Order: sequence, then structure tokens, then C-alpha cells
Amino acid sequence: MATTRQDSVRATIGAAARRPDRARLYDRLLPYGMMAPAVFVAFAIAIVPLCYAFWLSLQDWYMLRQPVPKWGGLVNYRQLLVDTQLWMAFGRTWIWTIGTVFVELLLALPIALLLNRETAIARTASAVILLPWVTPFIVLGFGWRFLLDSDVGPIHAFLHAIGIAGDSSVLNDPVLAFATIIFISGWKGTPFLVIALLAALKSIPDELYEAAEVDGANAWARFRHVTVPAIQNTVVTVGLVLGILAFYSFDLPWIMTKGGPQDATTIVGIAMYKAVFLDLRPAYAAAISIVMLLLLFIASLLALRARRTT
Amino acid sequence: MRRTSPLREATLDAVTLVVLFLLLVPILWVFVASVRPETDITGGGLWPERFTFDHYAAILAKRPFLIALKNSLIVGIVVAVVTTALALPAAYALSRFQFRGRNGFGLLILGTQMLPSLAVLVPLVVIVRQLGLTNTLTALIFTHLALGMPIAVWMLKGYIDAIPKELEEAAMIDGCGRIGALTRVVIPLIRPAIIAVGTFAFVLSWGEYLMALALISKADVRTLPLALQGLFDPYSFSWGQVMAGGTVIALPAILLFLIFRKQLVGGLLAGGVKG
Repeated sequence: MATTRQDSVRATIGAAARRPDRARLYDRLLPYGMMAPAVFVAFAIAIVPLCYAFWLSLQDWYMLRQPVPKWGGLVNYRQLLVDTQLWMAFGRTWIWTIGTVFVELLLALPIALLLNRETAIARTASAVILLPWVTPFIVLGFGWRFLLDSDVGPIHAFLHAIGIAGDSSVLNDPVLAFATIIFISGWKGTPFLVIALLAALKSIPDELYEAAEVDGANAWARFRHVTVPAIQNTVVTVGLVLGILAFYSFDLPWIMTKGGPQDATTIVGIAMYKAVFLDLRPAYAAAISIVMLLLLFIASLLALRARRTT
Repeated sequence: MRRTSPLREATLDAVTLVVLFLLLVPILWVFVASVRPETDITGGGLWPERFTFDHYAAILAKRPFLIALKNSLIVGIVVAVVTTALALPAAYALSRFQFRGRNGFGLLILGTQMLPSLAVLVPLVVIVRQLGLTNTLTALIFTHLALGMPIAVWMLKGYIDAIPKELEEAAMIDGCGRIGALTRVVIPLIRPAIIAVGTFAFVLSWGEYLMALALISKADVRTLPLALQGLFDPYSFSWGQVMAGGTVIALPAILLFLIFRKQLVGGLLAGGVKG
């Protein structure tokens, strides 16, 4: 049966091959036609803007002084190199990125271990835990502003009671505001890492743990020698993805503090936004985004190399 | 199966519940504040005793908020439909055909997924301005396509890969063309995935803030995240109303995601983890 059907399929395909050239051409072009709309969108939204950003970064275009863009060569990059404010923003961005991923790992690993069980509660929990991840930043930003408000915020009341916050909200203190928003950023990303870790943990066969137990390994040794090697790759890969997302953050610090107080939460995304919309220097902002891409590219290469050596 | 003592599981379940509560309480508080009377939010205790829908009535009576609701629905639905319409044929071509440039196209689309919107914000804003499309929903819709399209292509490709080729071949022997086989065999089989992908695109567009902030400054084309910001008037605003507005944005996103969780989580991980 099967062979006869395959034969007839082959016959049909053979017939198609003998069809006139126009039909053959149609078959050859069909996949391109089907890909074209999606590829067009990818080009228009990713490739073209990236190339355009590079071209733009070489223009001299400052709305207040040079309202029509003209070729400026490396003028933006020269200014960028001596822009101490910007380099401080870059410095904050690294603290922000590493801090966010650190909080994510710190929260996600124990939670994933806790949820890696077959009870009804563990299964339900691994669904609803996604809430912070799927709730839009705009809601979380205003929600946390409410929770940390010095007049009405319950979390402010708690922080006040344990002595972390004074009479005014932590968001008014440069250091505390930065630390708090880093924590919130990590909290928001935690569920994604939990789900990824859970998938990795579930793929570890029970036999491995049983064998380790037979060999006399205690709980810590089982974790160290069975669990850790199995989730290592997930941690590095997802950590890298979450790190890239954190590096390109804008929403949370902008919604919560607009980069303040005293620039304490001005990470480079906010500096770039301000360069376009407040300083009206689009070409300079384009140069910032090119430098961001470069730095991110180098950092990712280093992180991937670290992964290969471990 | 590993042996587990019921007592240990019960303890761990209790710990799970506590951890989950601590993790979700900031979001729950937002929801709860949206249904408490303003005096209770500012002066009442932690535990809500009186409930009211006044805040929802108040924001739904504001014209700017209603306009934003309408705009967000338009943008979200168009983005969902167009994303699916673009992703489905691309996913089918990537899954079923061998052709020159296939891997390149696949990587290009996957690469767009990894590109954060902030990385293309400046050039997109300048391009949109030069095209004269600032303050139009068209420009916003176009930029929002980037949010969900790449993941949609890869998720749908996964689902199409799982359909045996023989089903389409049988249909083609019966006289269907390629496109006929796609519309009559493949699409009915992966309908749940198509709906999930469209929903995902809708949810991403619904809560998107950065592009909307950068491209839109006029009241009549504002989307919900911008309208929420508008509720936060520094001189006279009501926390209850801001939280009610937040709930209007968050709840559809959360509910739709939970409904389609099974289809979406796998795709999300594939998009993020395949390294």
C-alpha cells in the first residue's frame, strides 16, 4: 500500500517536473514569495534602521545649531568619547545589567528547585508565577511607585518600619532608588528564568539522583554534581538573553524615576532617549546606539567564551 | 519514581505558597487598590474591607482614556492579524521547502527577535518623521510587528514540522495545489497555534510603551500605556484610578497569556534558549 502511494506521489512529482517551464518557475519562486513579506518586515524594522543608525551617527545634526543634517564624519564619536555624563551612564548600565541578572539568578534558582515537584500546588505555581513577566512595564512601574509612595505605599511603610527608608520614599534617595529599581527589574525577569530552569531540571532523569544516592552522595553533593552540570548551559544562555534585555532597559527606570534622582538611575537607554527628545541631537543618539551595540557584542562574545571554557 | 514522604511534600507546598505570595503580592496589591475607596487607600489598613468600582467608572467616563482604549484595540488587533498573516507563509516555506537562502532568511528573522526595540529606536523615529508618519497608528502598528513576528515564525514552523508531509501530498494528489494544501490541510491542523501566536502578538502590542512614547504625542492617537501616564497628573490624581487603569492594561495580558500558556511557553523557551 505504502509503496504504491509513494510511487504515485513520485509520479505526480515527476509529472510536475515535466510540466511547462512556467509551472516549474512557479514552484521555484513559491518559497521566496511566501518568505517575502516576513523578510521585508525584518529588513524594514531591523536591518534598514541599523544601517541608517550607522549613517546617521556620521552626520552633524543638532536641531538647535545644525537643523539640516550634514556630513560630520566622526564628530559625534569624538564628542561621545569625552562625554563623562554618558560614560557614567554606561557604568551604571553595567551595574544595572549585572545586578538584574544576579537578582534573577538568586530568586529563580531556589524557586525552580522548589517548583520541580509533581504536586498540584507546584504545577499551578509554575503557571501563575509568570505574572510579573507578562504584566507590562507601564503597570509594574506605576504599581511599584504606588507601593513605595511615602504617603500610601504599604511597602514603603514596611521599609520604614525596618529602618531602610526614612520619611521619604526610597525612590527619592539616589543609591536606594537605583538599588530598588534593579531589584524590581530582576523580579520582573525572574519568572522567565524559573520556567527555563524548570525545563532543564525536568529533563534530568531520576536515575542519576538514585545512582548518586546509592554512591552515598548527600543532598549537597547531588546538587553539586548532578543538578548543576545539567542546568549550567541554560543558566548561561538564558542569563545572556536576560542580560541583553537588561542592558537595553528603558521602561522601568523611565516610568519610575525619569532617570533621577540626580541622574542616579540614568542608564544609557535613558541617556539616549534624552539625547533625541530633550537635547534634540538625533545623530548623537544614533552614535550612542552604535556604541551600545558594539559594547554588547564584545560582552556577549566574552560571556560565550566563558561558557565554552567552563 | 522517586520516593517522597507526604509530610516533606506538604511542607514544601506550604513554602511554595508563601514564596509565590511574596513574589506576586506587588501585582495583587495593584488589583486590590483598584477596587478600594480612595480614603481606604490613603488611610485604611492593609486588609481591604470595603470594595467599590468607582475608579473604573471614573476612568471609563474620561474621553482620553476611552480613545486610548479604542486605539490600543485597533493597533493590537491589526498587529495580531498582520503578524499571523506574515508569519504563517514564512513558517510554511521554512518548514517545507529547500531553497537557496533558506538558512539566511531563517537567521535574519530569528536575529530580529534578539534585537531590542531600544537598539533601533533612534533611526526608526527619524525615518518615521521623514515619512511624515509621526502621530499615526500606522507607524506604531508597523513597529509593533517586530515584537511578535519572529517568535511567531519559529513557533509556527515548529508546529508545521510536526505535521506529516504525507497529509499534504495526499491532498495534492487529490488535486490541491501547494496553497490549497496549506489552507485546507495545514491551517486547520495548527489552528490552536495560530490563535496562540496572534494572541501573543496582541498582548505584546497592548502593553508596549517605548515605541508609543517615542512616536506619539497627540491625544487622539494615544494608546493605553500613554493614557495611563496621563492619569498620573502630579497635582490632582487618584491612586485608585491609576491602579484601575493599570488593571485594565494588565488583566487582558495576563488572562490571555494564562489561557494560551501551553502553546506559548514552549515557543518562548525555544526562541530564547536554543543556543
